[in-house]
Amino acid sequence: MKFEDETQNLKGRMAIINALVIALLVVLGARLYFLQVVRGDYYAERAENQRIRRLRIPAPRGAIFDRNGKLLVDSRSTYNVLLAGEDMKGKDWNVLIEPLSDGLGLDPGLLRERFDEAKRQPAFEEVTVKEGATPADIAWVEAHSLELPMLLVREQPQRRYPSNGTLAHVLGYVGEISPEQLKQPRFKDPDVNPFVRDNPYRPGDIIGQEGLESTYDRYLRGRDGYREVEVDSRGRIQRDLSLVPPQPGQDLVTTIDLDLQLTAEEQLRNSPNKRGVIVAMDPQSGEILALASYPTFDPNLFSQRIGTPEGRREANALLRDPLTPLFNRAIRGRYPPGSTWKILMATAGLQQGAITIKNSNLVCGGGITIGNKFTRCMGSHGSPPLRLAIKKSCDAYFYRLGLKMGIGGIMQMVDEFDLNKRTGVDLPHELVSWTPSPEFKARFNPRDKEWRDIDTVYASFGQVYDFVTPLSMLRAQVAVANGGRLYVPHLLKEARAVAGAGPFPERPRQTFDHPDPKRLDIPVDQHDLVVDGMWAVVNEDGTGTAARIAGFDVAGKTGTAQVVGLGKDTGKNKDHSWFVSYAPAKKPEIAMIALIENVGFGGKFAAPAVHNIYQTYLSKAHPDLAPAAPPTVEAAAQHQ
Amino acid sequence: MAAILEKRKLRDFDWLLTLLALAIALFGTWMIYNAQPDVGYWKKQLIGLGISAVVMLAVSFTDYRKLVHFAPAFYVFGLVLLVVVLVPGIGLKINGQRCWIGVPGLGQFQPSEFMKIPTVLMLARYYGRPRGSTLTVRETLMGIAILALPVGLILLEPDAGQSITYFPLLAVVLFLSSVRMWLVIAALVLGTASVPAAWVAGVKTGAIKPYQQERINVILDPENADRRGFGYHTWQSILTVGKGGLWGSETRGDASQSKLKFLPEPHTDFIFAVTAENTGFAGCVLLLLAYAVLLTKLIHGARRAPDRTGMLVIMAIVGGLAFQIFINVGMALGMLPVIGVPLPLMSAGLSAILSTSVAIGFAISIRLRRFVN
Repeated sequence: MKFEDETQNLKGRMAIINALVIALLVVLGARLYFLQVVRGDYYAERAENQRIRRLRIPAPRGAIFDRNGKLLVDSRSTYNVLLAGEDMKGKDWNVLIEPLSDGLGLDPGLLRERFDEAKRQPAFEEVTVKEGATPADIAWVEAHSLELPMLLVREQPQRRYPSNGTLAHVLGYVGEISPEQLKQPRFKDPDVNPFVRDNPYRPGDIIGQEGLESTYDRYLRGRDGYREVEVDSRGRIQRDLSLVPPQPGQDLVTTIDLDLQLTAEEQLRNSPNKRGVIVAMDPQSGEILALASYPTFDPNLFSQRIGTPEGRREANALLRDPLTPLFNRAIRGRYPPGSTWKILMATAGLQQGAITIKNSNLVCGGGITIGNKFTRCMGSHGSPPLRLAIKKSCDAYFYRLGLKMGIGGIMQMVDEFDLNKRTGVDLPHELVSWTPSPEFKARFNPRDKEWRDIDTVYASFGQVYDFVTPLSMLRAQVAVANGGRLYVPHLLKEARAVAGAGPFPERPRQTFDHPDPKRLDIPVDQHDLVVDGMWAVVNEDGTGTAARIAGFDVAGKTGTAQVVGLGKDTGKNKDHSWFVSYAPAKKPEIAMIALIENVGFGGKFAAPAVHNIYQTYLSKAHPDLAPAAPPTVEAAAQHQ
Repeated sequence: MAAILEKRKLRDFDWLLTLLALAIALFGTWMIYNAQPDVGYWKKQLIGLGISAVVMLAVSFTDYRKLVHFAPAFYVFGLVLLVVVLVPGIGLKINGQRCWIGVPGLGQFQPSEFMKIPTVLMLARYYGRPRGSTLTVRETLMGIAILALPVGLILLEPDAGQSITYFPLLAVVLFLSSVRMWLVIAALVLGTASVPAAWVAGVKTGAIKPYQQERINVILDPENADRRGFGYHTWQSILTVGKGGLWGSETRGDASQSKLKFLPEPHTDFIFAVTAENTGFAGCVLLLLAYAVLLTKLIHGARRAPDRTGMLVIMAIVGGLAFQIFINVGMALGMLPVIGVPLPLMSAGLSAILSTSVAIGFAISIRLRRFVN
């Protein structure tokens, strides 16, 4: 180089630059190797994840039918208008209130309320602006997609329940799974619920929250399909990649007979207080034919309107209602059974040998004196045999029977009839009855813990220490009717099979998982005697003649349960009116229990209600026996 | 032009360098097409490439010494343009930067891109005189002044990315003008040491704003940075590069990061990421290799330059190109913060490809005259 001079060592300096250039390129190459070769798969996956989005296609939930195939619940498509929170970050929401309330016909105050609530949640994704959007609403949203790109319309399968509250306590309702529920083993542990392995629960899922919807959620729930789409950086769909259609849930066929159910509900609705329970059961299987609990509620409130502030107000009002309309009285109400208890006492008394068929007479004497306290009978029956004592509902007979059996005998009876256990019905939240025992007294009355004879007297006629759920009582009575078989009451007849589709395997037909009935040892002659007494209650001059139907041997027992002490039983503290019954007496096809709250004598209110349901039953099962015109409540009352 | 070509010139013409530059530019055009096939950038780039090839030939057959002679005129003209671009109405404001001048019928051009050439010529002219001793303070200050005028004006646009590409020009020229080696090393050590100190001081005093911190954080730890905010560009570029794998990603075309708009500025700033996605490690290494050969050939030419000025011109060009390549690719690989510097010969843009072609034209011209004195 001509211009080279010694002081500069130019050659060396140029070589340094050359080396530096190459070194920098090598550094870049090394980094490339790390990103593309070492970590290439990882980044490729991350890139795919942001490119491909799975849009869930909610599966239709199975419908619910009565035993004759009448539709009780189904789902239909509704459309919701939503506001995507992602697009609204850091924007002023209030400017939307006017156009939205104008365009979609919404109350601006309500909209503001929803926005405020959404903004309070730290990580919300969308706000529902309007549920059940009409075609006009959807067209409006589409027409304004440029000005209001944050609006979207989403299809939402919506459960549709009978809005008058029919079967509300049986069907239950669906609702979004809560964060607390997602943590429960039932919703995430495959060992507890094997169905979550194939069909896991995810936030936002709509699940059964009450009733059969909850119990059989595993059958009713379908498997969501999905649409795989490619999106750009702003989330706009570019094209469809794949489609997996959802597999619908299994349809449920219940044991309910809708005609009986409607008749039962009608009886409660027409009762003076419009409060009570009626349950009808097949005594040969435990299938529940009707289960009515009044007052009732509209399940659509929880499945549809609960997301809105006004819906929540409505739900809160229901929760606070002193008449407890949300409460399924059949399995959560604990009531003194009154004289219906005597049937169990009679059966157990014979079984335990406290009385015999040959000599079943016990003194009535108009009452009994224990210590210095006289407890009276409602009548004076001399020294009746068991049949008469049942027919006339002689209290004092059973005071003495109870004393002969002793509290131990009564407790044994309770245990045999499973009254101290849940019935196992396929509904959630069943309560256990309270039954007499020295322990119960000690808890119930801590000031006087000792069990005395007078307590045994109370316990023996269905008062003070007896608080049973109507369903457990019916189950016990059915065991008397069918000669000793304690079936598990249930509502599921079958969950229909669903064909396999795409990645989802076939879902086979399911039926109620029948445990063998518990068998009580009731000798036939003892059984016949009790049944005969119950037949006489209705068909002779007994207390339940209002239930009589010519040609159909109805057996029954009235009950009048004291709510408060004698003499104060007026107004809302009136006695509960009970009637347990089955028919035909010798070969029962249907058994029923009716409880009308705070109205008075069992024979006057509950028995006619049961009578009317029998008529509906007969018109379907034995049209030849059905009477032409049902007697009115007043006419029935005169029978007594 | 053919008439003035002599046989010897044709023989000495650096065909390899020309073809290599052309090959890289064509490869770049293909990538611009891959980045956004629907938009006509690749067609514009092809036209620009044609224009650039003609200009490169014209420059290479012109005696560089004449051009260096007129360097002050170019330099002043360039400064005028840099002032003009700041005038609202003439200078076009894009993304908050006023660095484009619209030319009716031709589109727009970027004076800061072209100003590098006169700056290089001015530096080479000033330091090109034969030297007998090490650099004086006065000489060093003169170089800084030559650089400071255009850089200052560019910072007014403001275009920090463009302005930092000027520094290696001076650094190389000073380094080759026998600045004392210990000074170089001292500057390097001091510079390296002061970076963390400046960082801590900057964060503490608030001089480095949160978004700037975030841009640095994403480089240090892209996985945990704010990938939707200021770390977005870097993270998406890393994804795009990594996705390319060894031989290029399977999901190209309509499913590519650029087509789906995940990767921002795919045809300009992040053209290297597009290359990585489409051609994988293999293609990227090939491209880096091509750059290595190109730069090495330029340095080789500088050694044989007929005079000191010519040597300095080529070496300043080498410094500028190498620096831009490193900044741009380093940014695409998530090693450096996002700075809007085009990748030479690859990024779309007439100004960039034209100024690079002019620079390479100079190098060829200097080499052509290696035996002439």
